[in-house]
Amino acid sequence: MIVAENLVKEFKVLERRPGLLGSLGTLFSREYRVVRAVAGVSFELPAGVKAAYIGANGAGKSTTIKMLTGIMRPTSGRCLVNGLEPYRERRRTAAGIGVVFGQRSQLWWDLPVPDSFRILRRIHEIPDPVYRRNMARYRQLLDLDALGSTPVRQLSLGQRMRAEVAASLLHDPAVVFLDEPTVGLDLVLKEAVRELVNQVNAELGTTVLLTSHDIGDITAICDQVLVVNHGEVVHQGTMHELLRTADTRAVVFEYRDGPTPEQAVALVEDRLDGASAGRIDGGRIKVEYPARRWSVRQVMGFLLEHFDLTDCVAPEPDLETVLRRIYARRAGTREVPV
Amino acid sequence: MTAATLRRYAPFAVGSLQSLLRYRSMFLINALTATTAVGVQVALWRAVYAGGGLPGGYDLPRLTTYVLLAQVLALFQSNRVDEEVAGEVQRGDIAVSLLRPVSYPLARFAAGLPVSLTNATLVAVPVVVLYALSLPLSAPSPEGVLLFGCSAVLSLVIGFGVNLLVGLAGFVTTNIWGVRVVKDSVVAFFAGQVVPLALMPGPLAAVARALPFQGMVDGPLRLLLGRYHGPLGAAAILGVQLAWAAALSGLAALAWRGAVRRVEVLGG
Repeated sequence: MIVAENLVKEFKVLERRPGLLGSLGTLFSREYRVVRAVAGVSFELPAGVKAAYIGANGAGKSTTIKMLTGIMRPTSGRCLVNGLEPYRERRRTAAGIGVVFGQRSQLWWDLPVPDSFRILRRIHEIPDPVYRRNMARYRQLLDLDALGSTPVRQLSLGQRMRAEVAASLLHDPAVVFLDEPTVGLDLVLKEAVRELVNQVNAELGTTVLLTSHDIGDITAICDQVLVVNHGEVVHQGTMHELLRTADTRAVVFEYRDGPTPEQAVALVEDRLDGASAGRIDGGRIKVEYPARRWSVRQVMGFLLEHFDLTDCVAPEPDLETVLRRIYARRAGTREVPV
Repeated sequence: MTAATLRRYAPFAVGSLQSLLRYRSMFLINALTATTAVGVQVALWRAVYAGGGLPGGYDLPRLTTYVLLAQVLALFQSNRVDEEVAGEVQRGDIAVSLLRPVSYPLARFAAGLPVSLTNATLVAVPVVVLYALSLPLSAPSPEGVLLFGCSAVLSLVIGFGVNLLVGLAGFVTTNIWGVRVVKDSVVAFFAGQVVPLALMPGPLAAVARALPFQGMVDGPLRLLLGRYHGPLGAAAILGVQLAWAAALSGLAALAWRGAVRRVEVLGG
């Protein structure tokens, strides 16, 4: 279980003046600027959920994760992980959580992966049956044996990431924080890592908090979504609820006989106020319409009335578009890439 | 230290030993460095003794023994803790170390032990044998050896404390290399690794005696060579070492607590 109450983290950043004179100046007088990386984040995640923590670069994701894992101390506010305040009881918290930081390794750099696992097993005092069960799982899903006796420093990023995810789950933590867990993995391995996380969550009720720039990770793993922007949580709910906040919906249809595609597009745009239509591959037509102006029923009714439909699908709004809109709304007009 | 603590920190020692044994050339280089250092110093002292006299009451075999074992103790204390800690801080890997359910200083101590012990066995033993066969040395008494053993263990703790503090300086400055170079020469000099404290000019010797470093080389070797007055004298040497070992451990623990609060500046 994870609780954050008004979590704030501010950094003092040395203000460097530009140019050589400026650099000389910083030698003698230093000015600091306070940067608010996390500005009062509050949320509550019950045990067993798989939540995605989503935000654009610089949204304060990593800083929040560092406070939740006990590496950093909040400037104000507090958080609880498994009922402990991580930065106050770092070691006790560490025993009950697993963490993957995409860019940092928790493995022993000079040793082969199996040796690192043996060491972790003893540090965490993992009982034999648990260790055997987990290793069997990793062998089956991640093909860990293929890593052989190569020292970690000689592994490719993809090979290492597999071992990192496995290492973070080795001691059956109640909560696991995954920061970019599929960086550098190919499609098959990405799938394997997602499967592993889902399996562990289903069997052991492990709480998962995931940050990723890979929308695939989020949709394949998470049932809850926390969207942060400028250091604040701007949306919390299920994935479905988040997608429903999309203000445009789409329908893709195919028809036979009747008007030419150009005429069809023109007809749709003319009669459905605010909608835009366009031809996509295979002669199908995609209609995007404002959800507030038109109901699905109205749009479908219109299409049925005017076309001899042979196929019609209403795809779910895609996460990327929804997120881009949320970020953009907060940042004014600027569109932020996901 | 309880059995449970031992079980929890032993893996760090094993891991460090395993990593260490992958770098064979390091031992060879350490052996060459130590052999050369002893050779140069002995040659120097032989030139001094050729002019006659008995500086500080050390005859030539005793001084040769001192110089040789000073090198051994230096190897014993080269636990690489300073560079490992500073490196972790600079790379930001310290964040991962904070995620382990253990005390970082203790884990570092456990990881430093095999470095000391392998240096002492793989490097120091051959060097000592080499010089014992080629130069006249002074044979120590059995109680000297025993006291030296206890004292060497304490010197290990002092050396660890000093190195951990230097490593933690990585939180404050990025130029840890400079700090380490200064530390190496300051420690070598004031520990008595270059010149025994008894041969130093009065004021300098007084400074050296007031610092913790004398417990790393001069103290253990005075015990080995019997340069103390009675059991009380020996106890005093060990007592001072023990006090410094405790003080440095406490200081390192404090520094660590302060350092953890600074982790934030490293971001990443």
